[in-house]
Amino acid sequence: MNTIEMKHLTKDYGNQRGIFDVTFSVKKGEVMGFLGPNGAGKTTTIRHLLGFSTPNHGTCTINGMDCFHKAKDIHRSLGYLPGEIAFMDDMTGKQFLKFAADLKGMKNKGRMQELMDMFSLDPGGRIKKMSKGMKQKIGIVCAFMDSPDLYILDEPTSGLDPLMQNQFVELILEEKKRGATVLMSSHMFEEVERTCDRTAIIREGRLVAVEDMGTLGKSKQKVFMVTLGSKAEAEAFSREMNGVRQTGENRVTVGVRGELSEFIRCLGKYRVLNLAEQKQTLEDLFLHFYGGDSHE
Amino acid sequence: MNNIFVMPLLKREIKSNYKVFLIIAAVASMYISVMVSMFEPDLGKMLAEFEKAMPGLMSAAGMTNPGTTLQSFLKTYLYGFFMFVLPMIYELFTANKLVAGYVDRGSMASILSAPHSRRKVVRTQGFFLTASVCLMILYITVLGIVCSEMMFPGDLGIAEFLSLNAGLLCLHICISGFFFFMSCICNDTRRSTGIGVGVFLVFYLVQMLSNMGDKLENLKYATIFTLFDGDALLRGESRAIVMSGILLMIGILFFELGKYRFQKRDLPL
Repeated sequence: MNTIEMKHLTKDYGNQRGIFDVTFSVKKGEVMGFLGPNGAGKTTTIRHLLGFSTPNHGTCTINGMDCFHKAKDIHRSLGYLPGEIAFMDDMTGKQFLKFAADLKGMKNKGRMQELMDMFSLDPGGRIKKMSKGMKQKIGIVCAFMDSPDLYILDEPTSGLDPLMQNQFVELILEEKKRGATVLMSSHMFEEVERTCDRTAIIREGRLVAVEDMGTLGKSKQKVFMVTLGSKAEAEAFSREMNGVRQTGENRVTVGVRGELSEFIRCLGKYRVLNLAEQKQTLEDLFLHFYGGDSHE
Repeated sequence: MNNIFVMPLLKREIKSNYKVFLIIAAVASMYISVMVSMFEPDLGKMLAEFEKAMPGLMSAAGMTNPGTTLQSFLKTYLYGFFMFVLPMIYELFTANKLVAGYVDRGSMASILSAPHSRRKVVRTQGFFLTASVCLMILYITVLGIVCSEMMFPGDLGIAEFLSLNAGLLCLHICISGFFFFMSCICNDTRRSTGIGVGVFLVFYLVQMLSNMGDKLENLKYATIFTLFDGDALLRGESRAIVMSGILLMIGILFFELGKYRFQKRDLPL
């Protein structure tokens, strides 16, 4: 059964901005990634799911209910983390959490305390004075504190340090075990890779693909920058190795798909000074899956 | 109550707006007590001569025909300007904060992502504004009566004074309704405040001009504030009741229109 269902969702803001004919669904109990570069239309899509906006064409429903007209009923069991965190500036973190809990009509605050401990959040100070990371943590606690069935999270880890990002991944996996459905947007592949079953990829307002995470991982190219002992060695290595992208001085950039053993075996014959994996940007990802040098 | 209003939100609004309310009420208290204390039964004659000397200036500020009774004295010196502007400042500030402020800053998302309909949220905000404006006018009325009775026992025609304040309430429901409407349809407070202030000023200036009489008198048809006629209210004329009724209806209409638009429109959250 599908929890979220979007059909031909279109919202045109003019100047090629907006979302166009977006169709995808999220199954019950599934963790779905929503990848796209900044300005691709992730937040616009989420705006429709929350019922803040009405589409020009198409429909979006959650549990069979229209996202705009039945917003109140949908929000009964929804955890939402906005992409741009904006709380009541005049409140302290503690006051705001209490306010949010009251708004949701929450009686039991046990989970709230658990989450605050999990993210080592001290919500005493005024929100206005808080750092981005602190606000993000408060947003996460707000979204998760009443253990809803569905989460819609807009760039949930932005502003968090790596330790807290790991903590967040743990939290998602925990909620997934509990049976919750999650849609989370991101502009980083790695973040989605660790938690999601499938991912939808959006670019310039149009859905490019909905991929299984397993397939994506397999076909994803890892890019390494190798620094070798000398220029001659670098040249020899780049003749021997498939998928070389760039050679300069004693450095070689190589794209490797699938298993790494062949690459390592080949490297073993040379004097390697340094080996570093390059983080792939989303644009890289698009290039490799949908055009460009897809199969060496 | 929980079915009609979002109670946690209502509580928050009381907490975050009472300071401005108190400040405005304190300033109003000062003006009212000072004005009452300045009343002298013989003063009317003196001011009438004063007006003969500078006819334009006094009437521009709505300070026409001060009369000899305490209520008409207060009407002239308080209800022509201060009782327009002081509650207006509160209404402008609060109305814009209540809806456009949250939309502008994005915190409306945390309110609307909770299980409450937009209708209920905006109804709560509208109710808070209306109730606090009623409280403000009630305070002004009671304070006026108390000050008068303390300083000039028996001089104030209470029935007339109450009728004047009922008219004032209708006027302020109308003004706050307009501000609330702007707050509901605008995405940022700069715009909603700007338009609110602009329209208020234009109407008020037109009223000042029309007060100056002569050919400009016809300008009174170009401002909504003509519908608040202090003299007619004091005399208990039926046209005053009709005009106040119209002000009230316009106010309610703006409130309802604002709520309706807020429920239908796209929010940039």
